[in-house]
Amino acid sequence: MIKAPIGIGKPAFWSVQNISYQAYRLKTRPELIIGVLALCFLSFVVLVPLLQIIQDAFTFQSYDLSYEPDGVVGSFTLFHIDRVFNQPISTALFYKPLLNSLKMGFAVTAIALVVGFSLAWLMVRTNVHFKGVFGAMLVFPYMMPSWVMAIAWLSLFKNDRIGGSEGLLTYLTGIQAPDWVAYGIFPIVITLALHYYAYAYLLISGALATVDSELEEAGATSGMGKWKRIRVITMPLLMPAIGSAIVLTFIRILGTFGTPALLGLPVRFFTFSTQIYASINARNQGDAFVLALVLIVLAISFIWINSRIIGVRKSYVTMTGKGFRKSESDLGKMRWPITILVILFLCMTVALPLILLLWESLTLIPGNYSISNLTTYFWNGKGNINLAYGEPGIIHNKGILEALFNSIKLGFAAALFNGVLGLLVGYAVVRGRGARLSKWLEAIAFAPYIFPSIALGAIYIGMFSTNIGPVPALYGTFTILVLITVIKNLPFTSRTGIAAILQIHQSLEEAARVQGIGWFRRMFRIIIPLSMSGLVAGMLLTFITAMRELSLIILLISPGNMVLTGLIFSYQEMDMSQHSSAVTLMLVLLIIVISVIVRLITRSAGVGRLNVT
Amino acid sequence: MKLTKRYLLKTLSKAAAIALFSTTATFSVADGISAKLDAWLMENSLGSHATGQENWDEIVAAAKEEGEVSVYTASGRIAKLVDHFEALYPGIKLTVYDLGSVKTIEKTVREQDAGIFTTDVITTGNSGQVIYELLGKNRIFNYVPSHYVDRIPSENRDPLLVRVNEAMVFFYNTEVHPDGAPISNVWELTQEKYRGRVGIKNPMSSGSSLMGLATLVQNPEEMAAAYKRLTGEDIILGDGVPDAGYEFVRRMLANDIVIYKSGSKLVDASGKAGQDDALIVMGSMTYISRNESKGNVNAILSDLDPVSRLVFPTFMSIGAHAPNPNAAKVLIAYLLGSTDINLDTKLEKPYIEGASFDLLQGLAPYHDAGSVSPRNDVPLPQGGEIWDEMKGWNVSAKFMWEQGPKLRDFWNIHASQ
Repeated sequence: MIKAPIGIGKPAFWSVQNISYQAYRLKTRPELIIGVLALCFLSFVVLVPLLQIIQDAFTFQSYDLSYEPDGVVGSFTLFHIDRVFNQPISTALFYKPLLNSLKMGFAVTAIALVVGFSLAWLMVRTNVHFKGVFGAMLVFPYMMPSWVMAIAWLSLFKNDRIGGSEGLLTYLTGIQAPDWVAYGIFPIVITLALHYYAYAYLLISGALATVDSELEEAGATSGMGKWKRIRVITMPLLMPAIGSAIVLTFIRILGTFGTPALLGLPVRFFTFSTQIYASINARNQGDAFVLALVLIVLAISFIWINSRIIGVRKSYVTMTGKGFRKSESDLGKMRWPITILVILFLCMTVALPLILLLWESLTLIPGNYSISNLTTYFWNGKGNINLAYGEPGIIHNKGILEALFNSIKLGFAAALFNGVLGLLVGYAVVRGRGARLSKWLEAIAFAPYIFPSIALGAIYIGMFSTNIGPVPALYGTFTILVLITVIKNLPFTSRTGIAAILQIHQSLEEAARVQGIGWFRRMFRIIIPLSMSGLVAGMLLTFITAMRELSLIILLISPGNMVLTGLIFSYQEMDMSQHSSAVTLMLVLLIIVISVIVRLITRSAGVGRLNVT
Repeated sequence: MKLTKRYLLKTLSKAAAIALFSTTATFSVADGISAKLDAWLMENSLGSHATGQENWDEIVAAAKEEGEVSVYTASGRIAKLVDHFEALYPGIKLTVYDLGSVKTIEKTVREQDAGIFTTDVITTGNSGQVIYELLGKNRIFNYVPSHYVDRIPSENRDPLLVRVNEAMVFFYNTEVHPDGAPISNVWELTQEKYRGRVGIKNPMSSGSSLMGLATLVQNPEEMAAAYKRLTGEDIILGDGVPDAGYEFVRRMLANDIVIYKSGSKLVDASGKAGQDDALIVMGSMTYISRNESKGNVNAILSDLDPVSRLVFPTFMSIGAHAPNPNAAKVLIAYLLGSTDINLDTKLEKPYIEGASFDLLQGLAPYHDAGSVSPRNDVPLPQGGEIWDEMKGWNVSAKFMWEQGPKLRDFWNIHASQ
């Protein structure tokens, strides 16, 4: 349309020529517009909270008056920095928990990765039996609140160090489990790994499914052995997925609270997250935010190292619009033994905790597991003044049903917004690759992951308790729950978005562009269908996290926007273990049912098409 | 100046940076009372404008005019009162925000700093922060209905009205110790015999547990004297330990005290029937009710040297600029219970039903063994009669405010050694 004038030098920035030229450039590069819009939005919801954390970390808080009675609340101070790094308290407050968190993070990530990878390989690349059922069940542990496994572990192995009722092991055999089995880093790592392997499993199986077997066959033709093919061809193709899995798992573990609190406290195993939680609980925000900032720095350096090693290179394009084949290797004699192994694994990670929950919800007096002590009161009772403070059973309980509706609403809203946002961010990042905008966007979309959930919640209270320009005060509304959930999960969906778009070679879109097909139609006819499988997986994960998340939203819920996890939390606080078990079970079943339905629908709609051909 | 692209970008990014920083602008804390707040206090006879005399019928009428009242509470049990309250005061809708103690204070401070005044009644424990950060900064105001003043001892209404008093006590297992109390002095818990056999709820995350410890630590002379009575020797303090109070905490931790997350699990550790080697635990006295409800066999160490009952209050107050001040006053009176009660009143379990409920009113859900009304004319709840037999100390708000953080640090340092 308009060509840059020749010979007259560069046109001025405000000249009509330049503006219309820039407008034309923009029109042909929608990723720029999307990128800028996404960057603005994300700066507001991510950077502002970050600045607030930094500011609070360097601000004298009223809590600090105990140490320095003459301090001025609100003034600048290095007091918190000094306290965390350079005082007698620092060892207890910072260095030891740091070491514990790192140990825990590395161990869990390694185990989760090995477990997730093996399972992904079995499900995608071998002829193990019952793939459909296994595939659905393998993500179940992830759908439960992570502390469910810790509670199950305790009821199995708890010994007389913490007294009370006996663990099942002691009950059956009379043997006391040693302390290191019952509490501390060993059980924490095991239970967390059995919960968080789902990241690795989902990401790697997704990537494996898109690796064209022809590539490996090409390797075979040129004389490579089986292991060499895996090492030289398959593994490099899987590296982005493995990298994402490592990063996501590791950072989650750094911020996880429930399990270390349950299993670590009896032997005084403190982590970063338990220290942050304790500081926030004492309203000592100075400590909490400095620790949070260290976590953020840790996370960033981890990501940096990770990207140095793995990188995100263009060479990982696996969807090219050319032929695609997938082969399954025959397990031969090992087919049944391995199938049974998977079944045992599922019994341990899925069936056992669920059965324990069910049983607990049916006991009249908690801790008494005899048949005569069973009752369905907590499911269908109408409210008896002598039981559980007169709280009616689940199906007659208005509060529970309202929270149930809110949870579902939250899950769907968060998943939908997240999917859209993740896809757009992924598109803008990949297509604009090389430009600064793309880098910034990628970084900022990943940033929420490094906020400890509880701290993000605390900051959002401060930030949205009053209106900011045109944004009304969102505090206490349902919207803020959706917003914080979307933001907290964005790193994951944007990663899947990026991974999905990365796999779609630009040539597919270019072909459409040559024929004059507009951006929206390209999006709906090419990009979305091709990235659907990854996207749906990402949205499903958001849905699941949103439904079972607690630490993120605990500061923001009120009776008006109560959700199921909040209810479980208050039942636990009031020690109404049957109600809390029953509602937890209901929550888990609900998540499972909805995700199975989603999978069935998407499969029949042909989303999984590429994986099956 | 030329309008170049670079200049434009620079200006834009500057503006963005300013915008970002200004949204995170520091909050200001008003130390003095603003004219606006003073007028509000005057209008509602609160704070320095409290007259000590009031026409209760007028207040109730005004409350019905207001039509609603909201409460931020650290205790969920208030939610059970909604129907009863609304039946007693038709036309006043009660909304309960069950926030827990930390969030009750945090939310109040954050909202008021942002200029939002939505809540009428604020009720939570955590003495230090409530007295110094809320009351001391005029974020809440004390209110005692005039017809209750004579029924409440001054320590329970000055500087701030207590809604309910609770206590931390030491529990032991009566099956393991059938001959009665296994110890008579708290210092015995630091001896080799009880290594790893004493439990406590994590004071780093539990306010009541921290207050329980603080109540011991705030009395170092008494603690030192008790030590001498037990051993006949003067106590020798560890390195850098300031006094006998802190030394007790250090020795408890050095003696491998077991830390719990959940209060009910803690009291089950001592009270569960059928154990061979149960722990002795410091827990909230209200858990004695688990003897009845869960078949526990706990007993309270009621004759300990130097003290058996570590009392901590839960306060209630009216928030600054409360939108429904009269309804707030009515709710506070309701939470204190009916004036028809006297020490001879027979109250029957369940307290939250029938005639007992109508007498106890807002006190009903808290009329449990281990909880005590601030009034001097309410009989002790069944099962909690032992309260009066025990020597008790009250937690000091001043100590909690000035020393609480240091006690936490001390615990933190010695717990991770």
